[in-house]
Amino acid sequence: MDNIASLMHGFSVVLTTHHILLMMAGVLLGILVGVLPGLGAPNGVSLMLPLTFTMDPVSAIILLTSLYWGALFGGSTTSILFNIPGEPSSVATTFDGHPMAKQGRATEALSFAFLSAGFGAMAGVILITLLSGWVANFALRFSSPEYFAVYFMTFASFIGLGGASPFKSIVAMGVGFALASIGMDSVSGNVRLTFEFDALLAGVSFLIAVIGLFGIGELLLTMEQGLKFEGVAAKVSVRDVLRTAAKLPRYWVALLRSSAIGIWMGITPGGPTAASFMSYAMAKRSSRDPAKFGKGEPEGVIAPETADHAAGSAAMLPMLALGIPGSATAAVMMGGLMIWGLNPGPMLFIERPDFVWGLIASMYLGNVVAVVVVLATVPIFASILKIPFSIVAPLIVMICFIGAYTVGSKEFDIWVALAFGLVGYVFKKLDYPIAPLVLAMVIGDKAEDAFRQSMIFSQGSLSIFWSNALVSTLMAIGLALLVLPLIGRVSLFVRGRKPVLNAL
Amino acid sequence: MITRFWAETATALATLLFGLVIVYGALEFGTGWDSSGPQPGAFPFYTGALVALASLGTLVVTLAQRLRGAAIVNEIFLDRERAGRVLAFFAPLVAFVVITAFAGMYVATIAYLLYAMRFQGGYGWPVSIAGAVGAAFVFYVVFERFFQIGLLKGPIERMLGY
Repeated sequence: MDNIASLMHGFSVVLTTHHILLMMAGVLLGILVGVLPGLGAPNGVSLMLPLTFTMDPVSAIILLTSLYWGALFGGSTTSILFNIPGEPSSVATTFDGHPMAKQGRATEALSFAFLSAGFGAMAGVILITLLSGWVANFALRFSSPEYFAVYFMTFASFIGLGGASPFKSIVAMGVGFALASIGMDSVSGNVRLTFEFDALLAGVSFLIAVIGLFGIGELLLTMEQGLKFEGVAAKVSVRDVLRTAAKLPRYWVALLRSSAIGIWMGITPGGPTAASFMSYAMAKRSSRDPAKFGKGEPEGVIAPETADHAAGSAAMLPMLALGIPGSATAAVMMGGLMIWGLNPGPMLFIERPDFVWGLIASMYLGNVVAVVVVLATVPIFASILKIPFSIVAPLIVMICFIGAYTVGSKEFDIWVALAFGLVGYVFKKLDYPIAPLVLAMVIGDKAEDAFRQSMIFSQGSLSIFWSNALVSTLMAIGLALLVLPLIGRVSLFVRGRKPVLNAL
Repeated sequence: MITRFWAETATALATLLFGLVIVYGALEFGTGWDSSGPQPGAFPFYTGALVALASLGTLVVTLAQRLRGAAIVNEIFLDRERAGRVLAFFAPLVAFVVITAFAGMYVATIAYLLYAMRFQGGYGWPVSIAGAVGAAFVFYVVFERFFQIGLLKGPIERMLGY
């Protein structure tokens, strides 16, 4: 029971007034970010990151993860009250959440959403507690070829399971890798791909990319659609929440199934968006009365919310234990870890146990804090959306550009953010997935190093990726993830059908 | 009016060009093997090539859909009304970035918010001025004072001694 002892140590690190206050601040900022369209979890975390450079890593990661939980909750709030998903991962919550709100059951819908989301997150965190030490131990046996195989597996599953056109996934991924290789090459010391532009010497920061792609790109899209908020007012009373909580155990099957789906999609890089859609579809299919779905069925709120949050928290497992983020937000956080001078991966468990277990302990507390805070503040945040969008949107824009500038205090970054904004807008309209691009930018250098070191071991022979049982298995899984879904999809694709699921 | 066919084609051509530029840039550093392992250009060379090839793939798929008359490529990507809305939002953004480059972030913030509130939000001059200056002040307090991060400054701030 090493893990339990470590976890208790983690709690002792986290349980200080300072950290609890940071959690509440993080959750509040997160809800704000989640409620406002155009600001989502990935760029909320990106905007906050430069402000944490001077903090100690434990406090910084607590702030960022709490912001993430808050953003996930905020996204569901607008889905239910306004029928506008604040986050892509809460789209599925609108299907039944908003009908419930229109029937005057807004409080019930919100309580179901938050409580089941809390349940899902807890399931994810418990899994992390139990498995992370074991996974990290296992990963200690990895050397460069195995790491490259794991990276390959990650991107293979994006291409194979992502739902977008495989060509577009490859383009997004390749663009990310190419951008990551701009600037100083850590192995040879050469300055690559700057094309004589001095501004490119330091490379292109993934933070700028996230701010542009997710923030400005999303706002352009929102503007194009001519957004109108027509909300349902909600007051949350303690008694209503408790009454709903008492009903929750009735849905235990949905809760467990959705948690399992969410955890699976979180660990593999399917991500929260895909998890919530899949969970909704499964709930509908296995229901005795599928016709009720879409008309205000509580299970239609519980299923996507549980899976969304289970995936969100489970995505932290591969990030911590292997150094591979399971979602775009996790990718940004991993980038943050590297900026703070930490090296995500199995060695982190040995070198910085206080950080790892402090983070895991903070995930338990952070989610409890988040459920309480979000229930208490729903009316306040709902009223934010009554402010005209013509004021809110320019303010979000300002925050995005200021955030881009604070990353490195470079004027050039503002132009880059603007360019990424346009790219994000076009990519989103044409169903190019953005998460692989961000992931590739964050782990680009590591993937390249792993590849080059493997090649040096083998004197340039690709056979090193099949040289032992472990690496062969990883490569085989990667190839299977890449090829098997494609075979099925090619026929659909050729007939010109749109993929069902456009996961982020 | 732009249909999805043209949008897909233009984007794929742009990513194709991007891939080729990366390939070209990588050639300078060698894409083969030397005494220290793969040369520095190798990895970017292959990623660039992959991007170019996948872009070709999208071009072929899009063209095939067009030839077969699939509905998806004839969808409207952007019509006049939507383009107008995007432009009305995007043009001031570009102006903001240009002003920032020449006059610093505070001047740009005030100019941009003033424009957005007065002409797009339909607020009166007093409210718009108060809102714009107030926002700039809040940014100043939060970033420069609280987080100790300087924002981009221009000639006006320099004249005032910052």
